[in-house]
Amino acid sequence: MTTTIDLDAPAREPTFVGVSAGRRMKNAGATALVGLAFLIALVPLIWVVYSVLANGAGAVLNSQWWSQSLNGLLARQQGGGAYHAIIGTLFQGLVCAAIATPIGIMVAVYLVEYGGRSRLARATTFMVDILTGVPSIVAALFIYAVWISIFGLGRSALAVSLALVLLMVPVVVRSSEEMLRIVPDDLREASYALGVPKWKTIVKVVIPTALSGMLTGVVLALARVMGETAPVLILVAYAPYINFNIFEGNMASLPLLMTVERNNPTDAGSYRVWGAAITLILIITLFQLLAAFLSKVTAPKTK
Amino acid sequence: MKLQRHGVVLAIAAAGALLLSACGSDPSTTVGGNSSAAANSPAVDCSGKKSLNAEGSSAQKNAMDVFTQAYQAKCQDANIAYNPTGSGAGIKQFTAGLVDFGGSDSALKESEAEAAAARCQGNPAWNLPLVFGPVAIAYNLDGVDTLTLDGETAAKIFNGTIKTWNDPAIAALNSGVNLPSTPINVVFRSDESGTTDNFQKYLEAASKGAWTQGDGKKFNGGVGSGAEKSAGVAQAVAGAPGSITYVELAYAQDNKLGMAQIDNGAGAVALNDETVGKAIEAAKIKGTGNDLALDLKSVYGTTAAGEYPLILATYEVVCSKGYDVDTAKAVKAFLTVAATDGQANLSEAGYAKLPAAFQQKLLTSIQAIGSGGQ
Repeated sequence: MTTTIDLDAPAREPTFVGVSAGRRMKNAGATALVGLAFLIALVPLIWVVYSVLANGAGAVLNSQWWSQSLNGLLARQQGGGAYHAIIGTLFQGLVCAAIATPIGIMVAVYLVEYGGRSRLARATTFMVDILTGVPSIVAALFIYAVWISIFGLGRSALAVSLALVLLMVPVVVRSSEEMLRIVPDDLREASYALGVPKWKTIVKVVIPTALSGMLTGVVLALARVMGETAPVLILVAYAPYINFNIFEGNMASLPLLMTVERNNPTDAGSYRVWGAAITLILIITLFQLLAAFLSKVTAPKTK
Repeated sequence: MKLQRHGVVLAIAAAGALLLSACGSDPSTTVGGNSSAAANSPAVDCSGKKSLNAEGSSAQKNAMDVFTQAYQAKCQDANIAYNPTGSGAGIKQFTAGLVDFGGSDSALKESEAEAAAARCQGNPAWNLPLVFGPVAIAYNLDGVDTLTLDGETAAKIFNGTIKTWNDPAIAALNSGVNLPSTPINVVFRSDESGTTDNFQKYLEAASKGAWTQGDGKKFNGGVGSGAEKSAGVAQAVAGAPGSITYVELAYAQDNKLGMAQIDNGAGAVALNDETVGKAIEAAKIKGTGNDLALDLKSVYGTTAAGEYPLILATYEVVCSKGYDVDTAKAVKAFLTVAATDGQANLSEAGYAKLPAAFQQKLLTSIQAIGSGGQ
């Protein structure tokens, strides 16, 4: 007869075995409260998703919605689509990202690699913090004052992109900074030990290591600014036709399409508003998924 | 290894770019309705710039949509964006040079005219009354299909002097109609509106002194309940029997409201194309030369038979000169089409067609719009 010894079992009986009824009740109560809070937080989310889907599904399931503009349609006429607005949202967002990403990443590199505890670095961090708190309407009015009132340039999609840059840069700086900071100093020191100059260490070692997180940050920031409404209301006028020119003329975007069609009391108007809402949610979801995917693909190999 | 990873990112970017450039198009709309308008359609020079930009009064938004269809039927791949941000914004954006022409419920005031002239390189800006919308005194009263009011009675209803439907003043104008003794529920526009302004101007001119509240974009009657925008007041009346409001024709029609006939002293006048056309023709022009700013007081106070006096004129504010060549061509082309082909489907959208004589005056002004400096 062999005796088996359970190696995982504690050597000695634990001191507190039976949990008293009062404690169990407190535990149950707290669990119920936390669960309830979770459900309450879920209510608006489900409600929003449900009402958007219920009202907007009809619009986006129509193939015209993705391939046509609203050019030449009467307010009450059904048909047409949001192609012009989708293009506008993507153009404005991507131009903004093209400007904001290099600036944001370079600021982050400065703060982490060069700035240290210098006065300039502290001032920059402070300014970035302030910029994070700037409401989108203030950014829009600032660009309006500089771009249109002082320089006398017309309203255009580019002006919108510039306002979005103001909103996107601090987010990119913050997220990139965090990512660069968690790159272990050992990697840098190993590189220096091999005689690699500092700039090359940053480009070849630090940034590739942090790339995954930085890309995620950039795409999430982009998703955030694409839904902004204040800049498009002030800096560009709505156009029902397709415009590929970001430097001149009116250009639609999804938030702008919703604002304009909200004043259209007909059935066609509400159809377009809900359709645009669902389209915007879809596009932003798509960007979030893209961020998750990118972070997976570019993650540094661990083995 | 690293190359591969970057390859994936590149591939995503390329796929995105491909998706983006997948071609979209404008819907092919057919201009329905009356095609006989093509007969009097004039030659239009479509060689101007492709995208016009205009902004202003929301009262003419639906007319602009109709005009846009006609314009695009005439000039292939020409575009116009009209943003209904309100008359004040329209004039401001026009003066700032951000739009090619503005839309406004009222002609430029003197101070505004100076600023507008500066925008037009020192040339005066013209007010062209292109869109006329009749305003209906719309009511919802069970069993009463025709209701006649005159300026005085209307004023008394809208300032609370007359409180019930069977008031002797209303009964005197509607002999043979069985008026209930229910209270009158006045519905007014709670937002600032050109419609309110014009309606109060009408009451001032036509009420023989019964309306002492003055005009302005806010309703001064002091009775009833407010509702937002034209759609709001029309729906409020549709939902509450015994109520009355003033609202643009299209909204009264859409909500199937009764529309009061107006008695100017020469018999009851119903709201239709003919009676409104007559009123437009009778309107006095207070602008000089090609500036066609109207004096609607003469219409509001009219005592002539067969004229429906309660109309709203909305203007296009344009530069007489001072556009660049391409813009001038496009503005002229658009306005010409609007004043001719665009008239065909206008009644369906709730607006009045331009009477022939007035149309000629407008076309003369439009033809005189020029490019260049002094």
